[in-house]
Amino acid sequence: MDFSFGVILHNLPYLIAAAKWTLLISLVGMAISIGLGVFICAARMSRARWLAAAAALYISFFRGVPLLVQLLIFFYMLPHIGLDLPAIAAAILSVGMCSAAYTAEILRGAFQTIPAGQTEAAKALGIAPASYWRRILVPQALRLGMPSLINELILLVKVSSLASVVGIGELTRVAQNITGQTYRPLEIYIAAAAIYFVINLIISQLGRLAERRMQLAGGARLGV
Amino acid sequence: MMMKRLTRTVAALALSIGLSGAASADQLADIKAAGKIVAATEMHFAPFDILVDGEYQGICRELFDEVAKELGVTAEYLDLPWSSVLPGLEAAKFDIVNAPVTITAERMARYSFALPMGNATVALAKKAGDSSIMAPADIAGKAVGSQKGSAQLDQLKAFSATLATPADIREYVNIDEALADLAAGRIQAVANSMPLMGYAAVQRPDTFELVMPPFGDPKYFAWVARPGDDSASLIAAINEALLKMHADGRLDAINAKWLGAAPELPVEMPAVQ
Repeated sequence: MDFSFGVILHNLPYLIAAAKWTLLISLVGMAISIGLGVFICAARMSRARWLAAAAALYISFFRGVPLLVQLLIFFYMLPHIGLDLPAIAAAILSVGMCSAAYTAEILRGAFQTIPAGQTEAAKALGIAPASYWRRILVPQALRLGMPSLINELILLVKVSSLASVVGIGELTRVAQNITGQTYRPLEIYIAAAAIYFVINLIISQLGRLAERRMQLAGGARLGV
Repeated sequence: MMMKRLTRTVAALALSIGLSGAASADQLADIKAAGKIVAATEMHFAPFDILVDGEYQGICRELFDEVAKELGVTAEYLDLPWSSVLPGLEAAKFDIVNAPVTITAERMARYSFALPMGNATVALAKKAGDSSIMAPADIAGKAVGSQKGSAQLDQLKAFSATLATPADIREYVNIDEALADLAAGRIQAVANSMPLMGYAAVQRPDTFELVMPPFGDPKYFAWVARPGDDSASLIAAINEALLKMHADGRLDAINAKWLGAAPELPVEMPAVQ
């Protein structure tokens, strides 16, 4: 087996240029996932029944339909009803909106593990609901949900490869194209795998850092 | 009040639909107004569409550049996985597919084809300098490789049966293995579609040589646009450009550059079964 590092070095600039698309989709997708996820989680836990039902419907649709199919619908079917999204917008939106469904459920799970006694105690102490949420519930939920959230964000980076079906030259697509021309799949896919690995290593390290900081800050605030 | 607002919304909606309808009534006029034509293909099919160091190259690129020049617009190229190319065309994500699409009756019914720009008929590759095979009929009695389960193999079998001494046909899982056996001298020729055989000969001129002409049922490659009246003027303009390139030799020259020989290309739409 001849393994050529030369092929990797020669094509690395193209792979890195493609990884910028992967990063763009992932980072904006994450922002949508968390922003929208918090909102959907709140709706899902709302006492207003129609709101909770709408959130449940959203979650079951985006969780229940393969992301690839969602992406094809966003890009190729919406123009038929007059809604024409650019490829990159379709990719980011579908990745972000799908991930938001999971984020919402991760957060809901985290909220539910906080003992109801805390709510009663907060009421008894006369803490205003707004500051109870902001200072007691949300920091705990974030801390409890953090490992699963990091998991979800890493998954999101990996599913960004699906954006190739709408014509985005992200990392996986460009690796495929280079393979088609160099006939060196092993080298090229190993290089692509290494780039994905580095991106996700950074995310998991940032996540670990965030977990540690929250533990310190949360601990101090709660007087533990 | 409520009713009035509703009517206004409906009117605005109808207007916007009407406008978008009007904007695509004549695709050629839109393209000329924009000064560019957006073409999509999968850049993963040598020698027609390939990416070399991030740059799009190949027969379709060079031919389409010339066509765009004739139309007086610049060409912009998109790379899509093949499964997304025809859906993208239908969703009007780009103007035309400049991939080598094999002309079939089913596709004819669904899309508008331009004139053929490539020939996909079966042709032979022989060892470079082998003077015993100068025409397809010379394979009589010789060992010829082809790909198992391929349409080209059926064409080869049918052709071989018409010869006085049939060829000794060997079936390979992969056409590269057949070419390797040809290079090693185990077989005397390989049969597959003309562009693949020609490209192999151009890539390795010391080892392989293309045998012209192709044989069997003729098959052609062409570009496709959306069906209907909107694209009629675009297809007509592209055909006019292709005919001009037929006449001044550009079409043959670009094909020959990549395939080693210029295939026969019809100047009118071929009939398909």
